Amino acid sequence: ISLTLLLLLCPAVLWRVVQGRRSSRKAVLLLGLCDAGKTLLFARLLSGRYRDTQTSITDSSATYRLSRDKSTNVTLIDLPGHESLRLQFLERFKAAARAIVFVVDSVAFQREVKDVAEFLYQVLVDGTVLRNAPPLLIACNKQDVTMAKSAKLIQQQLEKELNTLRVTRSAAPTTLDTSGGPAQLGKKGKDFDFSQLPMKVEFVECSARGSKGEEGDADLEGLEKWLAKVA
Amino acid sequence: MLDFFTIFSKGGLVLWCFQGVRGPAATAPVNALIRSVLLQERGGNNSFTHEALTLKYKLDNQFELVFVVGFQKILTLTYVDKLIDDVHKEFRDKYRNEFQQKGALGLLNGTFDFKDDFMRLLRDAEESSKVRAPTVMKTFEQSLKSQKTVKCMIETRGEKQKEKVKNKKNKGSKKEGTEVATAPSKAPAGDKQLSAAGDKEELTKDEILQKNREEFFRRHMKAGEKSRSPKPDTQKEKGKKPRVWDLGNSNAKVLDYSNSATNGSAEACPVEEFDPDMALGDKNREPGRLYDLEYESEDEAEEEKVVQNASKPSAKKGGLGGMFGMLKGLVGSKSLTREDMDPVLEKMKDHLIAKNVAAEIAVQLCESVAKKLEGKVMGTFTTVTSTVKQALQEALVQILQPQRRVDVLRDVMDAQRHRRPYVVTFCGVNGVGKSTNLAKISFWLIENGFSVLIAACDTFRAGAVEQLRTHTRRLNALHPPESHGGRTMVQLYEKGYGKDAAGIAMEAISYARNQGFDVVLVDTAGRMQDNAPLMTALAKLIAVNTPDLVLFVGEALVGNEAVDQLVKFNKALADHSMAQTPRLIDGIVLTKFDTIDDKVGAAISMTYITSKPIVFVGTGQTYCDLRSLNAKAVVAALMKA
Repeated sequence: ISLTLLLLLCPAVLWRVVQGRRSSRKAVLLLGLCDAGKTLLFARLLSGRYRDTQTSITDSSATYRLSRDKSTNVTLIDLPGHESLRLQFLERFKAAARAIVFVVDSVAFQREVKDVAEFLYQVLVDGTVLRNAPPLLIACNKQDVTMAKSAKLIQQQLEKELNTLRVTRSAAPTTLDTSGGPAQLGKKGKDFDFSQLPMKVEFVECSARGSKGEEGDADLEGLEKWLAKVA
Repeated sequence: MLDFFTIFSKGGLVLWCFQGVRGPAATAPVNALIRSVLLQERGGNNSFTHEALTLKYKLDNQFELVFVVGFQKILTLTYVDKLIDDVHKEFRDKYRNEFQQKGALGLLNGTFDFKDDFMRLLRDAEESSKVRAPTVMKTFEQSLKSQKTVKCMIETRGEKQKEKVKNKKNKGSKKEGTEVATAPSKAPAGDKQLSAAGDKEELTKDEILQKNREEFFRRHMKAGEKSRSPKPDTQKEKGKKPRVWDLGNSNAKVLDYSNSATNGSAEACPVEEFDPDMALGDKNREPGRLYDLEYESEDEAEEEKVVQNASKPSAKKGGLGGMFGMLKGLVGSKSLTREDMDPVLEKMKDHLIAKNVAAEIAVQLCESVAKKLEGKVMGTFTTVTSTVKQALQEALVQILQPQRRVDVLRDVMDAQRHRRPYVVTFCGVNGVGKSTNLAKISFWLIENGFSVLIAACDTFRAGAVEQLRTHTRRLNALHPPESHGGRTMVQLYEKGYGKDAAGIAMEAISYARNQGFDVVLVDTAGRMQDNAPLMTALAKLIAVNTPDLVLFVGEALVGNEAVDQLVKFNKALADHSMAQTPRLIDGIVLTKFDTIDDKVGAAISMTYITSKPIVFVGTGQTYCDLRSLNAKAVVAALMKA
């Protein structure tokens, strides 16, 4: 009986091992606050068409073939942005992340700067992210609206906000995941700068809806070029 | 008559939308539905009201779809439930291929041309609700009464009396035997009285009654024997062992409160030998940091073991035939039905209630998890128990995640920049630890370099002002003005007893603004949630002074009471406020966390009811015993067997 048991359990163990090895980092994660435009960006990149969207409750993933070089592909994963879900899904997918796209709503940025910075901080101090150091792209979405802030302004504001957050977050409680104390973001003495991070950070402007509204194409050139680079 | 009908995937893509009456777009109400119901695990009942619309929804967990229909609240449409079910079935059958084979790409690229089918179903549903002719009354000939003869009516009355005598004997004999409920005997008696039957039926019912009685006796004889077996005595433990709290620091010196020097002096407080060790407790700690609850994370290793063990023992059980049958149950995809989940959910509900989660909240949670899992296809090597446990765990972590930023220091810095003090108000029932935790929070703020003004708005309880004065003195001794550039870090603003609390608060805030204090902590008197005049006074204090943060202090020992307290506090604050959007409770401070071992259910009850975050956790009575909530540790403690 024990022999038959072994025979039956062997394939199960093998299958699990193979699965673990196969899912090495091939995923590009789409993160961001609620209503930043992640799901629409996901739809545009994959199908090119405009789709109506609602608040996502769960993740969606699909293989994305680059428009120029059809042989390489990456798995695009769109994670929900809602506060109660975002950390859970980040936990699940962060180990498989080859690159991270952080989508920012450029129109509501002024109002939401603290929340954006807090989420970005949580992503940046995460142990797995610091270890793998995947390239990070901050996509300033909704540029088709006239009141949208430029990428440069967003970068400056985020740097200032993350500078203050470093201080308050290290004085406030941290989760037990970060072993020891909270991870230090950037260099201690100087003001925070995105160049101090171990991963490459870029800022790009884009518009998932597109300047011609729902009928026309999206304005995603910068995003697609960056994806081609990291794939 | 419908306002709209949308079908969208759980990933966020709208697959098909029907805009009925010319009204506003469907996105906003559906987003509100998602955020308040689905994401907060209130998915028990399937309807939701948003402004003027009622929304009914249905989840398809197999293909991860959501069906939502919206109509005006004033209309009561009876066909909506049936319509949703029909649409669900048709849509699923029609587009089964897209869902199964292509996954997300199928959803993106597929065109879902459902309009004709939908209009047909809608028409059918509307017609079926209209066509239901009023029930025609039966004529006398058709009723049963005309078929009875006078003779049989007389007989039945006599029979009934005989039956009553028999039942009485029944009851008497039963009382002599075992002490059992007489419900089963009442049931057949009730049956008899309702039916007006003929002779033949009486006899057979008599036989049935006799049979039932025999069975009943038999069953209860067996049960009686079992209950009479003597219970084994548990041996008393020899000697008392000191209790060790898991989640706190065990410093025996700190727990010794018997200081003979401070007893009995009434006037000005004696200058006691201030021992910073005793006040601070933990020597090696970083000043200014708020530690997290320490919890052994061996549970993660445990969980993996449990999953593997679940698959292995079930494989070893039974002979070859039985083993293959068991494996077939594990491997292969079958979808979860309500019947499969019910026993597991019952067990989980009892487990949660045993861990001090309020009963109604445990019920609602289990309902919501059931709705989320119904129809879901399980993967290979997963049992129903593990799937349900996993889903429940995710739901609990989701509830404990804060819906808004919980960063007090950041907000204080903001207020500092605008040159106004940051006002925090503490409210709660009697004896939960408001003043103690106020002192702890002011210590934490001072360590981070902010100056604090404590407003003693508890003008009722004897000794409240003195208590705060003692705390102020101690804090100033720990952080003397010299080490902070000549500024007094903490000061007390009090006006004695018996005055109006709201007035004192207002004066304290303007004093703080003039003197340049960074934070004002307002301590209020404890009050029961049913005490209407006191609740009015609290609501007035909050409405007039508009604090930046209203913290409800609740103790972790409370059980079902937590729901009542929070609901009534919020209601009182909402009722007595003049503003358009009333100030409600913004956060919760959970105190006395060191006294509960792992019965941490109060945290769940409180966050579920208010959907506001737990900002601080109090784990002791020294100044350092202030932590923040670690959602994973709490959920791990909750799910531990």
